[in-house]
Amino acid sequence: MTAIPVRATRKTRLLPGFPRCMILPTLLLAALILIPFAAPLITGADPVQIAVRDRLAPPSFAHWLGQDEFGRDRLARVLYGGQVSLTVAFVATTLACIVGTLFGLIGAYFRGPFEFLTTRLSDVVLCFPPILLALLVVTLFGPGAGTLVAVLSVLYFPSFARIAFSEALRVSSLDFVEASRALGTPSHRIVLGTILPNIAGPVSVQYSLTAAAAITIESGLSFLGLGVVPPAPSWGQMIRGARQFMSQDPLGILIPCVALTLTIYAINFFCDRLRDTLDPKGALGGGKDETSVPVAAGMVPADETADVVASVRDLRLDLMRPGGPVNVIEDVSLTLRANQCTALVGESGSGKSLTSLALMGLLPGAVRQARGALRLRRKSGEMVDLGALNAKELEGLRGNDVAMIFQEPMTSLNPIHKVGAQMVEAILSHRAMSPSDARARAISLLELVGINEPARRFDGYPHEMSGGMRQRVMIAMALTCEPRLLIADEPTTALDVTIQAEIIELLQRLRTEYANGLSLLFISHNLGIVAKIADRVAVMYSGQVVEEGPAAQVLNDPHHPYTVALLESMPSSHEDLHSARGDRLRAISGTPPLLDARPSGCTFHNRCPIAVSSCADARPPLFVSADGDRQVRCFRAPEAGLEAAR
Amino acid sequence: MLEFLLRRLAAAIVMLLVVGTIIFSLLVIVPGDPAELLLSTGGGSATQEAIQNLRNEMGLDKPILAQYFGFLANTAQFDFGTSIVDGSSIADNIALRLPRTLEIIAVGAILALLLAIPAGTLAGLRGGGRFDVIASAVNALLTSIPGFVVGTLFIYFFAQVLGVLPAGGYVAFAADPAQHLQMLILPATTVALHLATIIFRMTRASVLEMRGHDWVRTATAKGLRRSLVVRHHILRNALGPVITVAGLQLGILLGSTVLIEFVYNWPGLSGMLVTAVEQRDYPTVRAIILTVAAIFIGINLMIDILYSLLDPRVRLQ
Ligand code: SF4
Repeated sequence: MTAIPVRATRKTRLLPGFPRCMILPTLLLAALILIPFAAPLITGADPVQIAVRDRLAPPSFAHWLGQDEFGRDRLARVLYGGQVSLTVAFVATTLACIVGTLFGLIGAYFRGPFEFLTTRLSDVVLCFPPILLALLVVTLFGPGAGTLVAVLSVLYFPSFARIAFSEALRVSSLDFVEASRALGTPSHRIVLGTILPNIAGPVSVQYSLTAAAAITIESGLSFLGLGVVPPAPSWGQMIRGARQFMSQDPLGILIPCVALTLTIYAINFFCDRLRDTLDPKGALGGGKDETSVPVAAGMVPADETADVVASVRDLRLDLMRPGGPVNVIEDVSLTLRANQCTALVGESGSGKSLTSLALMGLLPGAVRQARGALRLRRKSGEMVDLGALNAKELEGLRGNDVAMIFQEPMTSLNPIHKVGAQMVEAILSHRAMSPSDARARAISLLELVGINEPARRFDGYPHEMSGGMRQRVMIAMALTCEPRLLIADEPTTALDVTIQAEIIELLQRLRTEYANGLSLLFISHNLGIVAKIADRVAVMYSGQVVEEGPAAQVLNDPHHPYTVALLESMPSSHEDLHSARGDRLRAISGTPPLLDARPSGCTFHNRCPIAVSSCADARPPLFVSADGDRQVRCFRAPEAGLEAAR
Repeated sequence: MLEFLLRRLAAAIVMLLVVGTIIFSLLVIVPGDPAELLLSTGGGSATQEAIQNLRNEMGLDKPILAQYFGFLANTAQFDFGTSIVDGSSIADNIALRLPRTLEIIAVGAILALLLAIPAGTLAGLRGGGRFDVIASAVNALLTSIPGFVVGTLFIYFFAQVLGVLPAGGYVAFAADPAQHLQMLILPATTVALHLATIIFRMTRASVLEMRGHDWVRTATAKGLRRSLVVRHHILRNALGPVITVAGLQLGILLGSTVLIEFVYNWPGLSGMLVTAVEQRDYPTVRAIILTVAAIFIGINLMIDILYSLLDPRVRLQ
């Protein structure tokens, strides 16, 4: 699925559809490169003609930028000097680019010794400060533009080789390259026709970086008097010459300094934008530490009974987009009671995780709570509205009254801290306790969740543990402060079948043995696991709860067509049941809508097998069963005996 | 851990050997007679006698393998031979000047770290915010100014226009500490600025990246104070990549320091190097470059070890 679009987007980005943010840098760069070569059109003056009587003359009509310490026309020298600097830099860079890219492609395509050569070469060259290596060669051959080009291209080709190599390796493992290889396309055609266009982006970024570096080195050497040979002008030399006279004639150093800086800046600017265009992710990724603030309840009445641990009322979440907010969660209500396990079920993208993150006050920064109330019962028995708490109070709540375990145990623990330290840190931030007591507590928790040799593991690092073990650690960590509510977001999805079962067993055991009255919000798309653990089930589809009720009833006698479809696509055999990692519904066609593109009417109408024409017009309300225990969001629910709420 | 250290040490030694070999072989692959090449000035060529003298002096008349092992053995004992210009001992000369170069690099690097790590962290924590936008723009501009240009402009501004700092020169610390420090300010700042732009960019990117990791969310979910999340779970993780890149950039930094010393007449290695290049004193140039490469490899070895202390996973690779 990913392969073809990659190819298409890269191509359109580089060729016809010129991205808007590239226009300014491209124009600036083109101007700065072209202007020096238009020197004869701009000034008739000769850059090397000396007029000693007019030395250090200020700007005049004949000499717009004045004259230098030998009375030479400064405008002409800047322009012609630019020609020299740019020519040296670009010729060297182009040579390095061609040779290096070829090396890299050969290395990537034939591997073996070529691979070794291309990767090691740049390590070695990196050890030499480039300017020093250039000096070494200048010592042997004497200064001059030719020497410079030769040195710079030798210096820089390994970095091209390395980039071309790693990019080509990445590209050649993509589906479409393997496909054309399987079709018997000759290798040179694959390399030149398919791989080369795809690595053009990173290579061109490297090209501009290198060109900027080459200009810096060229001007530096000329500044030392070891680069371009006088009287041929160059920017470095102009600075060198004007240095002695800077108090009488500051313009002399300012002009070449500005020309040099501007040119390098233009190249860097171009390069940065190019990089951002090619890889938009890198520009600004929202961090997972960024949380948006919960909103106070407002009109929603607080009428929860004493056994309610947490409640979500009429929650509405909007995703903030440049074009305006997009509604992603609509009218979600959940009531979590003590001692109960509520399963939140649905395909990925249905909004299960967002709903649970909202209860932790951990919504991503780009998501805003537009309406509704989030309430939690603290251990003191007091019911608090998350929106009424400040950041500090929220910190005191998280991990203490409500804790969460996540889907990916492999990445949920910080790899550079010891497991024990990460647990102790959690304990100490909520409890006044001596570090040694905290350690003892952490070790006893590790033992509780079934980790062998807990004292040894306490001092180990996450990478020394298996996924199942890490998930146990996560559970132990979540339990450190005896929360009333534990949220488990797909805690077994990333694990092996047997480990999955163990973790579920552990959670079950903990609920009964350890924390009396612990309420569990269990998020999963795997109905097999849900059937084992849940007391109540809430099914989510496209940002709404579409069916809710006692687990046994919902799973055995579903009322909503989506729940029916979910159950029908459940693998039948026991084996499949646990390995069902796939997130796709087999019983019905189509895919769930993206959260930011929710259909009008019933959000399920375009996939619903029993839809009627009116389904596309209005959102169905929640229909409630006679005993009030079940709720279904479907126009055809009354056929099963449910009534419209309120 | 010990095994890791030994492996890294061995790798560094191999690297030194490769570097030495490459520098040595440059003389071998040069077309024609190196001695003749070194003595040639523009169009004119040197007398046969002078060339023969130089060949003897540089040992070019011995068989290549003997030259090679001789070169390696001497280098390993810090015996770089004598200058072909005035016959002075190269090693002594380097020993005199190297500390001065290391001084501005060390002071510059400390300044750069003090400036760039907090700034980069702040920018990364508020990616896209006002501070980030301004700091990144300033950084992009500073990146584009070569060190010797910064130096020249600094001299113009601080020494000529304001007259608050000396334009350059050097006094030994023992002779006049105050004067020494005054003369150190501009060169060290120039070096620092250059390095700071790189560290800033890396820190910002690394902090931004670390913020996207799951463990940061875990830390927040545990109820840790924000400042603790930032320090333990973002910054600590972000620093590893930063120091590694900073280490690799040191090569470029060591090079630009040559120019900066030259600008300020700071009598470190650069003055010696530039004179040697002008006089085509190949053994001296070669010795200086070997020294710098060795310093570079040594610093990166230290950084590897430091990184392994920051991130235990590195030790396994
Ligand atoms: S409201 Fe209509 S479309 Fe939606 S689930 Fe019910 S029958 Fe299907």
